[in-house]
Amino acid sequence: MSRLRSIRFRRGRKKHREVELQLTSMMDVLVIILVFLLKSYSTSTNNFTTLPGLKLPISASQDLPPDSLHLIITPEGMTFENERIVEFELSAGSLADETTYAIKKVDLAEDGRQIQPLYAALIKARDRAELLRAKSRARDESGNPLPFDGVLAIQADKRVRYDTIRKIMYTAATAGYKVFRLLALKRES
Amino acid sequence: MLKRPSSRRRSTPTDVQINLVPMLDALVTLIGFLLFSMSFLSLVSIETPKPEVNPDTVEKKLQERPLQLTVSIREKESEIWSPFERIQAKVIPHTSEGLPDTKGIHEALIEVKRGFLGENKVVLVPSASTSYDVLVAVMDSVRGLEPTDPPLFRPNATTGIEEPVKALFPEVVFGNLLGEN
Repeated sequence: MSRLRSIRFRRGRKKHREVELQLTSMMDVLVIILVFLLKSYSTSTNNFTTLPGLKLPISASQDLPPDSLHLIITPEGMTFENERIVEFELSAGSLADETTYAIKKVDLAEDGRQIQPLYAALIKARDRAELLRAKSRARDESGNPLPFDGVLAIQADKRVRYDTIRKIMYTAATAGYKVFRLLALKRES
Repeated sequence: MLKRPSSRRRSTPTDVQINLVPMLDALVTLIGFLLFSMSFLSLVSIETPKPEVNPDTVEKKLQERPLQLTVSIREKESEIWSPFERIQAKVIPHTSEGLPDTKGIHEALIEVKRGFLGENKVVLVPSASTSYDVLVAVMDSVRGLEPTDPPLFRPNATTGIEEPVKALFPEVVFGNLLGEN
Protein backbone atom coordinates (compact mmCIF):
# COMPACT_ATOMS: atom_id res chain seq x y z
CA MET A 1 0.00 0.00 0.00
CA SER A 2 2.78 2.34 0.92
CA ARG A 3 4.38 1.42 -2.39
CA LEU A 4 1.35 2.67 -4.32
CA ARG A 5 1.52 5.97 -2.47
CA SER A 6 5.21 6.55 -3.03
CA ILE A 7 6.15 9.41 -5.37
CA ARG A 8 8.44 7.23 -7.45
CA PHE A 9 5.59 4.85 -8.19
CA ARG A 10 3.22 7.65 -9.10
CA ARG A 11 5.75 9.03 -11.52
CA GLY A 12 6.12 5.61 -13.05
CA ARG A 13 2.41 5.34 -13.61
CA LYS A 14 2.38 8.36 -15.93
CA LYS A 15 1.82 7.54 -19.56
CA HIS A 16 4.82 7.94 -21.86
CA ARG A 17 3.75 10.56 -24.36
CA GLU A 18 5.36 10.40 -27.78
CA VAL A 19 7.38 13.52 -28.50
CA GLU A 20 7.43 14.21 -32.20
CA LEU A 21 10.02 16.49 -33.64
CA GLN A 22 8.79 18.92 -36.27
CA LEU A 23 11.06 18.07 -39.17
CA THR A 24 9.30 20.10 -41.86
CA SER A 25 11.09 23.37 -41.11
CA MET A 26 14.43 21.57 -40.95
CA MET A 27 13.67 19.96 -44.32
CA ASP A 28 12.94 23.41 -45.76
CA VAL A 29 16.31 24.74 -44.60
CA LEU A 30 18.17 21.70 -45.90
CA VAL A 31 16.49 21.87 -49.30
CA ILE A 32 17.43 25.55 -49.62
CA ILE A 33 21.04 24.74 -48.71
CA LEU A 34 21.04 21.88 -51.22
CA VAL A 35 19.75 24.08 -54.03
CA PHE A 36 22.35 26.75 -53.22
CA LEU A 37 25.17 24.19 -53.19
CA LEU A 38 24.03 22.61 -56.45
CA LYS A 39 23.83 26.02 -58.10
CA SER A 40 27.32 27.05 -57.04
CA TYR A 41 28.84 23.61 -57.59
CA SER A 42 31.59 23.73 -60.15
CA THR A 43 32.82 20.67 -61.95
CA SER A 44 36.31 21.93 -62.70
CA THR A 45 38.96 19.33 -63.33
CA ASN A 46 41.90 21.13 -61.75
CA ASN A 47 43.26 20.61 -58.29
CA PHE A 48 45.01 23.94 -57.83
CA THR A 49 45.70 24.79 -54.25
CA THR A 50 46.45 28.15 -52.75
CA LEU A 51 48.55 29.47 -49.89
CA PRO A 52 47.36 31.39 -46.83
CA GLY A 53 47.75 35.12 -47.28
CA LEU A 54 47.87 34.94 -51.07
CA LYS A 55 45.82 37.77 -52.58
CA LEU A 56 44.79 36.95 -56.13
CA PRO A 57 43.64 39.56 -58.64
CA ILE A 58 40.16 39.38 -60.15
CA SER A 59 39.72 38.72 -63.84
CA ALA A 60 36.82 38.89 -66.29
CA SER A 61 38.17 35.85 -68.15
CA GLN A 62 35.82 32.89 -68.45
CA ASP A 63 38.45 30.25 -69.26
CA LEU A 64 38.67 27.49 -66.67
CA PRO A 65 42.26 26.32 -66.21
CA PRO A 66 42.83 22.60 -66.86
CA ASP A 67 45.23 20.74 -64.59
CA SER A 68 48.91 21.50 -65.20
CA LEU A 69 52.18 22.15 -63.38
CA HIS A 70 51.58 24.89 -60.88
CA LEU A 71 53.74 27.72 -59.55
CA ILE A 72 52.60 29.98 -56.71
CA ILE A 73 54.36 33.32 -56.18
CA THR A 74 53.81 35.18 -52.94
CA PRO A 75 55.64 38.40 -52.06
CA GLU A 76 57.98 36.26 -49.91
CA GLY A 77 58.84 33.37 -52.22
CA MET A 78 57.92 30.77 -54.81
CA THR A 79 56.25 27.38 -54.39
CA PHE A 80 56.35 24.87 -57.24
CA GLU A 81 54.08 21.85 -57.02
CA ASN A 82 53.57 22.38 -53.26
CA GLU A 83 57.31 22.61 -52.59
CA ARG A 84 58.98 25.86 -51.57
CA ILE A 85 61.86 26.41 -53.99
CA VAL A 86 62.78 30.10 -53.69
CA GLU A 87 62.82 32.49 -50.73
CA PHE A 88 62.95 36.19 -51.61
CA GLU A 89 65.11 38.60 -49.65
CA LEU A 90 63.88 41.82 -48.15
CA SER A 91 65.26 44.90 -49.86
CA ALA A 92 64.58 47.98 -47.77
CA GLY A 93 63.81 51.27 -49.48
CA SER A 94 64.22 54.80 -48.14
CA LEU A 95 60.59 54.88 -47.09
CA ALA A 96 58.69 52.23 -45.15
CA ASP A 97 56.31 51.50 -48.01
CA GLU A 98 59.20 51.10 -50.45
CA THR A 99 60.33 47.93 -48.70
CA THR A 100 59.99 45.13 -51.24
CA TYR A 101 60.98 41.52 -51.64
CA ALA A 102 63.43 40.63 -54.39
CA ILE A 103 65.03 37.47 -55.72
CA LYS A 104 68.44 36.78 -54.16
CA LYS A 105 71.33 37.47 -56.52
CA VAL A 106 72.79 34.00 -55.88
CA ASP A 107 69.61 32.49 -57.30
CA LEU A 108 69.93 34.38 -60.59
CA ALA A 109 71.84 33.51 -63.77
CA GLU A 110 72.07 34.74 -67.40
CA ASP A 111 72.45 38.41 -66.47
CA GLY A 112 69.72 38.20 -63.85
CA ARG A 113 67.08 36.83 -66.22
CA GLN A 114 66.98 33.20 -65.13
CA ILE A 115 66.00 31.92 -61.67
CA GLN A 116 68.26 28.92 -61.02
CA PRO A 117 66.23 26.95 -58.40
CA LEU A 118 63.10 27.37 -60.53
CA TYR A 119 64.94 26.24 -63.66
CA ALA A 120 66.15 23.10 -61.87
CA ALA A 121 62.65 22.32 -60.57
CA LEU A 122 61.07 22.88 -63.99
CA ILE A 123 63.62 20.64 -65.74
CA LYS A 124 63.04 17.93 -63.12
CA ALA A 125 59.26 18.16 -63.58
CA ARG A 126 59.66 18.08 -67.35
CA ASP A 127 61.87 14.97 -67.20
CA ARG A 128 59.34 13.26 -64.93
CA ALA A 129 56.47 14.13 -67.28
CA GLU A 130 58.40 12.88 -70.31
CA LEU A 131 59.26 9.64 -68.53
CA LEU A 132 55.59 9.09 -67.67
CA ARG A 133 54.59 9.77 -71.25
CA ALA A 134 57.24 7.34 -72.53
CA LYS A 135 55.83 4.62 -70.26
CA SER A 136 52.23 5.44 -71.13
CA ARG A 137 50.35 3.50 -73.80
CA ALA A 138 49.06 6.73 -75.34
CA ARG A 139 50.92 7.33 -78.62
CA ASP A 140 50.69 9.75 -81.50
CA GLU A 141 49.95 8.74 -85.11
CA SER A 142 53.52 7.67 -85.82
CA GLY A 143 53.70 5.56 -82.65
CA ASN A 144 55.89 7.90 -80.65
CA PRO A 145 55.12 8.95 -77.05
CA LEU A 146 52.99 12.08 -76.79
CA PRO A 147 55.13 15.24 -76.60
CA PHE A 148 55.50 17.25 -73.39
CA ASP A 149 52.69 19.83 -73.36
CA GLY A 150 54.89 22.45 -71.65
CA VAL A 151 52.14 24.33 -69.82
CA LEU A 152 52.88 26.21 -66.60
CA ALA A 153 50.11 27.72 -64.48
CA ILE A 154 51.30 30.83 -62.63
CA GLN A 155 49.33 31.88 -59.56
CA ALA A 156 50.81 35.15 -58.33
CA ASP A 157 49.89 37.50 -55.52
CA LYS A 158 48.44 40.71 -56.92
CA ARG A 159 51.33 42.73 -55.43
CA VAL A 160 54.01 40.76 -57.30
CA ARG A 161 55.71 42.92 -59.92
CA TYR A 162 56.03 42.13 -63.61
CA ASP A 163 59.81 42.11 -63.18
CA THR A 164 59.48 38.85 -61.19
CA ILE A 165 56.86 37.37 -63.52
CA ARG A 166 59.04 38.17 -66.52
CA LYS A 167 61.98 36.31 -64.97
CA ILE A 168 59.71 33.33 -64.28
CA MET A 169 58.42 33.25 -67.85
CA TYR A 170 61.94 33.56 -69.25
CA THR A 171 63.14 30.73 -66.98
CA ALA A 172 60.21 28.52 -68.00
CA ALA A 173 60.76 29.30 -71.68
CA THR A 174 64.43 28.26 -71.44
CA ALA A 175 63.32 25.03 -69.69
CA GLY A 176 61.08 24.12 -72.65
CA TYR A 177 57.72 25.41 -71.45
CA LYS A 178 55.68 26.99 -74.24
CA VAL A 179 52.45 28.19 -72.66
CA PHE A 180 51.85 30.20 -69.48
CA ARG A 181 48.48 30.31 -67.75
CA LEU A 182 48.09 33.33 -65.52
CA LEU A 183 45.56 32.47 -62.84
CA ALA A 184 43.15 34.87 -61.18
CA LEU A 185 39.89 34.81 -59.28
CA LYS A 186 36.74 34.80 -61.37
CA ARG A 187 34.86 38.07 -61.36
CA GLU A 188 31.31 37.53 -60.13
CA SER A 189 28.89 38.66 -62.82
CA MET B 1 -34.01 16.02 -35.16
CA LEU B 2 -32.27 13.63 -37.44
CA LYS B 3 -28.99 14.49 -38.98
CA ARG B 4 -28.65 14.52 -42.70
CA PRO B 5 -26.96 11.41 -44.13
CA SER B 6 -23.95 13.41 -45.18
CA SER B 7 -23.26 14.52 -41.64
CA ARG B 8 -23.61 11.10 -40.04
CA ARG B 9 -20.03 10.19 -40.65
CA ARG B 10 -18.62 8.79 -37.43
CA SER B 11 -15.08 8.09 -38.42
CA THR B 12 -12.72 10.84 -37.34
CA PRO B 13 -10.23 12.05 -39.95
CA THR B 14 -6.86 10.42 -39.32
CA ASP B 15 -3.65 12.47 -39.58
CA VAL B 16 -1.50 11.15 -42.38
CA GLN B 17 2.13 11.90 -41.65
CA ILE B 18 4.93 11.32 -44.09
CA ASN B 19 8.02 9.83 -42.55
CA LEU B 20 10.59 12.52 -43.28
CA VAL B 21 13.51 10.86 -41.51
CA PRO B 22 14.88 8.86 -44.53
CA MET B 23 14.58 11.93 -46.74
CA LEU B 24 16.40 13.94 -44.10
CA ASP B 25 19.16 11.32 -44.01
CA ALA B 26 19.54 11.51 -47.79
CA LEU B 27 19.65 15.31 -47.76
CA VAL B 28 22.26 15.46 -45.01
CA THR B 29 24.42 12.91 -46.87
CA LEU B 30 24.07 14.85 -50.12
CA ILE B 31 24.93 18.18 -48.49
CA GLY B 32 27.94 16.63 -46.80
CA PHE B 33 29.18 15.23 -50.11
CA LEU B 34 28.66 18.53 -51.93
CA LEU B 35 30.41 20.53 -49.21
CA PHE B 36 33.33 18.10 -49.21
CA SER B 37 33.81 18.06 -52.97
CA MET B 38 33.02 21.70 -53.64
CA SER B 39 35.63 24.15 -54.82
CA PHE B 40 35.19 27.45 -53.02
CA LEU B 41 38.02 29.04 -55.02
CA SER B 42 36.76 29.86 -58.50
CA LEU B 43 39.87 30.27 -60.62
CA VAL B 44 40.07 31.41 -64.22
CA SER B 45 43.10 31.62 -66.48
CA ILE B 46 44.54 33.91 -69.12
CA GLU B 47 46.69 31.94 -71.51
CA THR B 48 49.74 33.48 -73.12
CA PRO B 49 52.21 31.66 -75.35
CA LYS B 50 55.97 31.95 -75.20
CA PRO B 51 57.11 34.59 -77.71
CA GLU B 52 58.75 32.95 -80.73
CA VAL B 53 61.41 34.70 -82.73
CA ASN B 54 63.25 33.27 -85.69
CA PRO B 55 64.99 34.97 -88.63
CA ASP B 56 62.46 33.66 -91.18
CA THR B 57 59.48 35.27 -89.45
CA VAL B 58 61.36 38.55 -89.02
CA GLU B 59 62.15 38.61 -92.75
CA LYS B 60 58.53 37.79 -93.57
CA LYS B 61 57.26 40.51 -91.25
CA LEU B 62 59.52 43.11 -92.81
CA GLN B 63 58.04 42.30 -96.19
CA GLU B 64 54.38 41.97 -95.14
CA ARG B 65 54.40 44.85 -92.62
CA PRO B 66 51.66 43.37 -90.37
CA LEU B 67 49.74 45.36 -87.75
CA GLN B 68 51.60 43.80 -84.79
CA LEU B 69 49.49 45.81 -82.38
CA THR B 70 51.53 46.71 -79.30
CA VAL B 71 50.40 48.06 -75.94
CA SER B 72 53.23 49.52 -73.89
CA ILE B 73 52.68 50.34 -70.23
CA ARG B 74 55.12 52.91 -68.92
CA GLU B 75 55.51 54.67 -65.57
CA LYS B 76 53.06 57.49 -66.34
CA GLU B 77 51.29 56.52 -69.55
CA SER B 78 50.24 53.71 -71.84
CA GLU B 79 50.79 53.70 -75.59
CA ILE B 80 48.99 51.80 -78.34
CA TRP B 81 51.15 51.60 -81.44
CA SER B 82 52.33 49.49 -84.36
CA PRO B 83 56.06 48.98 -85.12
CA PHE B 84 55.21 49.09 -88.83
CA GLU B 85 53.17 52.29 -88.39
CA ARG B 86 49.95 50.67 -89.59
CA ILE B 87 48.00 52.76 -87.06
CA GLN B 88 48.51 56.17 -85.56
CA ALA B 89 50.10 55.76 -82.14
CA LYS B 90 47.91 56.81 -79.23
CA VAL B 91 49.19 57.77 -75.80
CA ILE B 92 46.80 57.32 -72.87
CA PRO B 93 47.90 58.93 -69.59
CA HIS B 94 47.48 56.99 -66.35
CA THR B 95 44.60 57.77 -64.00
CA SER B 96 44.96 60.09 -61.00
CA GLU B 97 45.85 56.99 -58.90
CA GLY B 98 48.85 56.38 -61.15
CA LEU B 99 47.35 53.24 -62.72
CA PRO B 100 46.85 52.53 -66.43
CA ASP B 101 43.53 53.82 -67.73
CA THR B 102 42.09 50.42 -68.67
CA LYS B 103 38.85 51.97 -69.88
CA GLY B 104 40.72 54.38 -72.17
CA ILE B 105 42.90 51.54 -73.49
CA HIS B 106 39.81 49.42 -74.12
CA GLU B 107 38.03 52.20 -76.05
CA ALA B 108 41.12 52.96 -78.14
CA LEU B 109 41.51 49.25 -78.98
CA ILE B 110 37.87 49.04 -80.11
CA GLU B 111 38.65 51.78 -82.64
CA VAL B 112 41.70 49.81 -83.82
CA LYS B 113 39.60 46.63 -84.08
CA ARG B 114 37.16 48.41 -86.40
CA GLY B 115 39.95 48.73 -88.96
CA PHE B 116 41.44 45.26 -88.40
CA LEU B 117 38.52 42.93 -87.70
CA GLY B 118 40.53 39.79 -88.49
CA GLU B 119 43.38 40.64 -86.14
CA ASN B 120 43.46 38.77 -82.80
CA LYS B 121 47.01 39.23 -81.54
CA VAL B 122 48.40 41.94 -79.31
CA VAL B 123 51.88 42.38 -77.91
CA LEU B 124 51.94 43.59 -74.31
CA VAL B 125 55.02 45.46 -73.08
CA PRO B 126 54.58 46.30 -69.39
CA SER B 127 57.13 48.18 -67.30
CA ALA B 128 59.05 46.20 -64.69
CA SER B 129 57.17 47.85 -61.81
CA THR B 130 53.71 46.90 -63.09
CA SER B 131 51.93 44.80 -60.50
CA TYR B 132 50.26 41.49 -61.36
CA ASP B 133 46.90 43.01 -60.43
CA VAL B 134 47.34 45.80 -63.01
CA LEU B 135 48.68 43.31 -65.55
CA VAL B 136 45.54 41.16 -65.29
CA ALA B 137 43.30 44.26 -65.50
CA VAL B 138 45.08 45.46 -68.66
CA MET B 139 44.93 41.98 -70.21
CA ASP B 140 41.18 41.85 -69.49
CA SER B 141 40.64 45.23 -71.16
CA VAL B 142 42.72 44.14 -74.17
CA ARG B 143 41.14 40.70 -74.64
CA GLY B 144 37.43 40.95 -74.04
CA LEU B 145 34.43 42.88 -75.21
CA GLU B 146 31.91 44.12 -72.66
CA PRO B 147 28.14 43.91 -73.27
CA THR B 148 28.06 47.72 -73.17
CA ASP B 149 30.61 48.07 -76.00
CA PRO B 150 29.41 49.07 -79.48
CA PRO B 151 28.76 45.95 -81.57
CA LEU B 152 31.35 44.91 -84.15
CA PHE B 153 30.48 42.70 -87.12
CA ARG B 154 32.73 40.69 -89.37
CA PRO B 155 31.72 38.81 -92.56
CA ASN B 156 32.05 35.04 -92.28
CA ALA B 157 34.76 33.73 -94.64
CA THR B 158 32.60 30.91 -96.02
CA THR B 159 29.02 32.18 -95.90
CA GLY B 160 29.69 35.89 -96.27
CA ILE B 161 27.09 36.63 -93.60
CA GLU B 162 28.11 39.25 -91.06
CA GLU B 163 28.66 37.80 -87.59
CA PRO B 164 29.25 39.63 -84.31
CA VAL B 165 32.85 39.81 -83.12
CA LYS B 166 33.04 38.13 -79.71
CA ALA B 167 36.49 39.17 -78.50
CA LEU B 168 38.78 42.14 -78.96
CA PHE B 169 42.38 40.90 -79.12
CA PRO B 170 42.29 37.58 -77.23
CA GLU B 171 45.85 36.40 -78.02
CA VAL B 172 48.22 38.27 -75.74
CA VAL B 173 51.99 37.82 -76.04
CA PHE B 174 54.55 39.49 -73.80
CA GLY B 175 57.04 41.42 -75.86
CA ASN B 176 59.81 42.18 -73.41
CA LEU B 177 60.78 38.95 -71.63
CA LEU B 178 64.40 39.85 -72.31
CA GLY B 179 64.02 43.60 -71.81
CA GLU B 180 65.31 45.69 -68.97
CA ASN B 181 62.72 48.48 -68.76
